[in-house]
Amino acid sequence: MWNRRLLTACLFLTLCTGACTASVREPDIPSALDPQGPAAANITNLWWLLFWLGTAVFVIVTALLLFIVFTHRRPGEMMAPDLRAPEHRTWIWWGGVIFPAIILSLTLFFTLRSHIALAYPPTPPALTIEVIGHMWWWEVRYPDHEVTTANEIYIPAGQPVNIRLTTNDVIHSFWVPELNGKIDMIPGKTNSLWLQAAEPGIYRGLCTEFCGLQHAKMQYLVIAVPPNAFAQWVEQQRQPAPAPTDETTRLGQQIFLGSACVYCHAIRGTNASGQLGPDLTHIASRRTLGAGILPNNRGTLGGWTINSQHIKPGNRMPPMNLSGAELQALLDYLATLQ
Amino acid sequence: MTTVVSTMGKTGVNGAEVNSNDRLEQTWATPTGIMRFLTAVNHRMVGARYLVTGLTFFVLAGVAALLMRIQLAVPENTFLNPDLYNQLFTTHGTTMMFLFAVPIMEGIGIYLIPLMIGARDMAFPKLNAFGYFVYLIAGVTIWGSLFFGVAPDGGWFNYVPLTGPEYSPGIRIDFYTTMITFLEIAALVAAIELIVTILTMRAPGMAINRMPIFVWSILIMAFMIVFAMPPLVVASVELALDRVIGTQFFNVAAGGDPLLWQHLFWVFGHPEVYIIFVPALGIVAAVAPTFARRPIVAYELLVLSLIAIGVISFGLWVHHMFTTGLTPLGLSFFTVASTVIGIPSGIQIFALLATLASGRLIIKTAMLYIIGFVIVFVIGGISGIMVAAVPFDQQVHDTYFVVAHFHYVLVGGAIFPLLAGTYYWFPKITGRLLNERLGAWGFWLFFIGFNVTFFPMHLTGFWGMPRRVYTFIPGLGWEWLNMLSTIGSFILAVGLLLFLLDMLLALRKPADAPDNPWGASTLEWATASPPPTYNFRTIPAVRSRDPLWEPVRDPLYERDLADPTWDRFGLRNDRRESLGSSVLDARPQQRIILPGPTIVPFFLALAVAFLFLGLMINLWMVPIGAFITFILLAIWHWPSPEERRLEEVTAGPPGALPVSTVADSVGIKPPFWWGMLGLILIEAVVFAALVASYFYLHASNQEWPIGGIKPPDLLLPSINALILFASSLPIYLADRGIRRGNQTALKVGLVISFVMGLIFLTLKYIEYSSLDYNWTTNAYTSIVWTITGFHSAHVIALLLKTLVVGTWAFQGYFTEQRYTAVTVNGLYWHFVVIAWVPLFFTLYLSPRLI
Repeated sequence: MWNRRLLTACLFLTLCTGACTASVREPDIPSALDPQGPAAANITNLWWLLFWLGTAVFVIVTALLLFIVFTHRRPGEMMAPDLRAPEHRTWIWWGGVIFPAIILSLTLFFTLRSHIALAYPPTPPALTIEVIGHMWWWEVRYPDHEVTTANEIYIPAGQPVNIRLTTNDVIHSFWVPELNGKIDMIPGKTNSLWLQAAEPGIYRGLCTEFCGLQHAKMQYLVIAVPPNAFAQWVEQQRQPAPAPTDETTRLGQQIFLGSACVYCHAIRGTNASGQLGPDLTHIASRRTLGAGILPNNRGTLGGWTINSQHIKPGNRMPPMNLSGAELQALLDYLATLQ
Repeated sequence: MTTVVSTMGKTGVNGAEVNSNDRLEQTWATPTGIMRFLTAVNHRMVGARYLVTGLTFFVLAGVAALLMRIQLAVPENTFLNPDLYNQLFTTHGTTMMFLFAVPIMEGIGIYLIPLMIGARDMAFPKLNAFGYFVYLIAGVTIWGSLFFGVAPDGGWFNYVPLTGPEYSPGIRIDFYTTMITFLEIAALVAAIELIVTILTMRAPGMAINRMPIFVWSILIMAFMIVFAMPPLVVASVELALDRVIGTQFFNVAAGGDPLLWQHLFWVFGHPEVYIIFVPALGIVAAVAPTFARRPIVAYELLVLSLIAIGVISFGLWVHHMFTTGLTPLGLSFFTVASTVIGIPSGIQIFALLATLASGRLIIKTAMLYIIGFVIVFVIGGISGIMVAAVPFDQQVHDTYFVVAHFHYVLVGGAIFPLLAGTYYWFPKITGRLLNERLGAWGFWLFFIGFNVTFFPMHLTGFWGMPRRVYTFIPGLGWEWLNMLSTIGSFILAVGLLLFLLDMLLALRKPADAPDNPWGASTLEWATASPPPTYNFRTIPAVRSRDPLWEPVRDPLYERDLADPTWDRFGLRNDRRESLGSSVLDARPQQRIILPGPTIVPFFLALAVAFLFLGLMINLWMVPIGAFITFILLAIWHWPSPEERRLEEVTAGPPGALPVSTVADSVGIKPPFWWGMLGLILIEAVVFAALVASYFYLHASNQEWPIGGIKPPDLLLPSINALILFASSLPIYLADRGIRRGNQTALKVGLVISFVMGLIFLTLKYIEYSSLDYNWTTNAYTSIVWTITGFHSAHVIALLLKTLVVGTWAFQGYFTEQRYTAVTVNGLYWHFVVIAWVPLFFTLYLSPRLI
């Protein structure tokens, strides 16, 4: 039996050390244990405190249990009961009341401290970003800059930003594990959250409230860039789409404007102003497709355009009936939407 | 008396010439074949069915889990499509919570409680059978929907608006809203059954502070069910109405609020966890002392901490809503409450450790599971304290960390004790011991498999994997963790297969287990294994908490044991009777007459199912189902020719205790009265949840009533309310009259109150038919119509009930000795009248005052 216990302990420790080391070595893991901003760091500190207190409790209780089992074990069958006055009543007061009360008071104190610290960012946020949940993608608006994008949130590194969260349909939940805890996007309600990335970097965000068929494939990237690069990005995103400059891209634009695309997608600077799907004015500048689940390149964009139902079954974009040449022209055009 | 004895013939009360055990056997017999299935009411038969059915659903839900683990073994797997996956995880959750955990705990209670308290059956055997059929029909319907590919797919928590009419049209969610509500009927009737049985039918001397902890735990569980299930029923009914007749409870555009669902759901959903955990603690407290050969340490503290857990668990629900953006102050309150529950749980664990440390431990399979329980549950408890911390919860909420956490709590806190309980009680139930070797193998595989499956999920959650995802993209570091969990789940499954195999093999052996194979201390071990149909020929006498370890020396009891023709309480053996005793100190008070096999519960379950299916298929089925339900309920309660002959009902040997239905004259309440009190309690919670909905919607709308609707007029409703209040008076006078033998007062009182009830309904109809809005207008009108409709349905039920009782009154059934049905009818009448006071305030005064 000791072997099992040892095994469990090893597993426990392996996983915990694995958590620490792997989160350092594999930057792709959206790990809450690898905080990249003050809010997440605060929570991670709280976690390690809870972890060590919890481990202490577990070790004490398990050790006591196993000690009792091994010292009081009797071989053989049922013997007559022992009806003397009960022993060890004081254990219950110490182990069941006083010891937990101390541990729980400690956790409460640190929890409330952390909770209060998280209520406001270190400095008041200068930037507010609106994120609107859709089944199953994210609309991102910068109301101060008249910028609309999707599934990608650029923020200036080192500065807190305020995120205002609403939903267009059902409940979603906004979570960037490396930067802060999550908060739900609820119909009829506006929630908000602040994010601050200490360093420039790319942090994955995920929907964490079950929202239907494609809840699994509803992700996004938070991209923290230096403040001057952020200003440049905003400036670039504010521009309307450039007019096509050559024959194929002109053809591609015609295909876009003449097909069902325009019912759902907008490209500023053209007549396309659909609101049901992501704004495509700067689609080529984005890193991912299908709400954070595919890298954005010509191949994936082509595949997505023709039949996204293979990639994300049930999503709201119908398959497109385009010839090879039409598709190529369309992709050429979309590639210009930097 | 002479006529009585003659009607009983040779096998009469003192029928010395017939062996008493044979006579009892005959009296308690159940038909065989299919009629056995349809008509059995005996608690052990019903309880065993609950156990077998619950186990079947557990296996099915486990298979669903394995399918999900296969799907998640590798990224971008196409083994299951997203639609099927969503149906599976929903069905897994609803099955484990509604079709397995609660029914299995109630089933164990139904099977064991009468044995443990020394009774021959439960207080309402017919209700027991009815509850089981409801459970079976609901479970089969839910699983049927999965096999037809139209199972609910909104999660067991079923959050709106995803599950509302706009985003989930079609029949899927209807299975959830209607079948869960229907199923809760089973949970609630079983709860009432357990409460009344425990409070009124304990063996003489089993004072409330001598009840085994297991009995306490079932009692507390049953009370928790009574308070927890009604909010869920109200939530599901509101959603069903939104979906079926277009109310607007959860539609934001019409003033509804999706968070109303979450509050109502978790007011149920959090206690639900403890509803499962509390009886599991009871199992631990039954098994551990037996294998430690020592009475449990700190009995009083254990009972108090169980009660504390039950009470505190109702103050924690918001910790499931830490990410909904509620105010920080409110959240902090729930952090504190969630933390505080750690203390009574700690008391439970340390009382167990102290008991083990006081004794000499015999390590059998049952004990292995108890040890496993402590280890697994403590991990779940620790992570529970962690997620009670708001900031930490906001990180891990709805990730695999939480999946790990609650599986540690539920599997550790319920499955391990249940498996311990199975190894412990299997010989009592079947007469066969399980194989210890196979049991140990099963335990280790289950224990290891469980930890390999769920421990890594803590990390999976930290690394960002959300719950309820049908697949995941590669490259985020989640691959090996998911593969590990999938491997673990199959080890776990093999362990459970060995457990099932062990049971199957045991059932092939002859039933040769001793009556008390573990030398245990509680009364269920005092009778044969398996027990005879009547449980005990001689109701045991109790003088301590461990009656079999400290036997009673009582001459009357010993004579009763020795003389099969004599019963010290005068319990008849030609009719199903059990002992009724006082609530606190279990003094023998009355003989409770119990019904025998009947098919009415089966038909009643069908009728109620028909009513509920009407919400899914065609609304016309609802009134038809309700009418058939009424007819069947009337048949259910209709006195038989024997019951009409008062002398025969009260007959018994000299010195026999009075019969419960006529015992009220000596100030003793019959079980029926307690049962009605239980029903009233449930209904009161339902009304409270409706009123809470009203004020919640009020608070979440700036304008109230919504949409320029004026607050309701006061004149007609006030007069009408006075008529309703006044109708309690004739009901009271009727009851008082018949207690003095005044038949006229009875008849006149019932007729007048009936007429007043009719007037109330008519005026209500006039009032509502003149409104220029209906239930579909907005959330305000939805809740107003629903509350009024629900209360009016109660008034209709009152009238129908009074119609039945009145018929008996005019038949001369009631006398100054026998009037319980009048009293109980009056009790319900007064309740429905009094309920109108807060409802009147809510509907008519509050919009003007608040």
